[in-house]
Amino acid sequence: MSASRLEAFLAKIYVDENSRERFLADPRGEAAKAGLSEPEIEALEKIDRAGLILTAQSLQKKRQRLTGK
Amino acid sequence: MKFKNDDNNQIRDRVGLGWRRELALGILSHLDRIDVVEVIADDLFDAPRGERRALRTLSAQTAVVLHGVSLGLASSVPVETKLLEKTARLCEEVTPDYWSEHLAFVRGGGVEIGHLTAPPRTDATIEGASANLELARKVVGSAPLVENIATLIDPPGSDYDEIDWVNRIIYSAPCDLLLDLHNLHANATNFGYDAMEFLIGLPAERITAVHLAGGKWVEALGERRLLDDHLHDVPDAIYKLLSELAAMAPHSLTVVLERDGAYPPIEVLLRQLDRAREALAEGRSRRFELIEKEAA
Repeated sequence: MSASRLEAFLAKIYVDENSRERFLADPRGEAAKAGLSEPEIEALEKIDRAGLILTAQSLQKKRQRLTGK
Repeated sequence: MKFKNDDNNQIRDRVGLGWRRELALGILSHLDRIDVVEVIADDLFDAPRGERRALRTLSAQTAVVLHGVSLGLASSVPVETKLLEKTARLCEEVTPDYWSEHLAFVRGGGVEIGHLTAPPRTDATIEGASANLELARKVVGSAPLVENIATLIDPPGSDYDEIDWVNRIIYSAPCDLLLDLHNLHANATNFGYDAMEFLIGLPAERITAVHLAGGKWVEALGERRLLDDHLHDVPDAIYKLLSELAAMAPHSLTVVLERDGAYPPIEVLLRQLDRAREALAEGRSRRFELIEKEAA
């Protein structure tokens, strides 16, 4: 059950800039609010921040290319 | 190295190109140099009948394979049956040599990510992928080849290395591997492991298709990562991996070059196909020499 919550949480911070900013400012608080387990919260506290930013940028460019916006 | 089930005379590797509207004329004019064409399945799910008819015409002239991008099979969440049904209808209409999808998740909690993303590498996503692949096989009528994806982020919450995770999925599901060599190269470069060792760690007998592509460097917070963007030429390192794979694989390989934009003249892409053929020939030659030596 928590596995799908973690995927949903990741989808949100990859795609939504506000959610990502809130998460980067307070990883533990945002992950706990999403109902994630303690090991998942700990993993998110150690997130690869450069990777997160680059993933978000890349996804945004791909969406722009697909929608032409 | 010991090879089983070899019949060298039966190895017929194929090299081809991903179908894109911008490349259509170039592809159709050079079918003598393109053994196989890979079509993005999702582009055709809701395409007008004329476009689907054109694909049937193409499949009468050359080998066609279908490649999906939106199923999100590597997820703890069940795949959407309506997408599988669309894939099934398309496969029935086009009769591709095979169909393929990615080991990725593309949506979660009602959010559409809009592209392929690496899920946490855990037992939950291994079990989810396995169940999704079984369902895909049932609905579509054949199991897809599954493709390793490129990622710019080390997926948080992972319990397995990429190679263990991929191997566990393909051993738990009735699927062979479509090995994207640029994805492998990019992940190895970004996360500090050896691409050749990764390749050797895969079951060669389960790799039946290959993707080639190029990419570029991107940077954030002072860290550089290699992005698999399909907008650049195939780098030398990828041909080296292809040659090694050809030396390992006991059966024919289907190799497809993916290019999604910044299209060069078709001749430039055809030259990359020729280089892929050279790499395959070099690897096969090493393989045959080794087999002969072992038999002597």
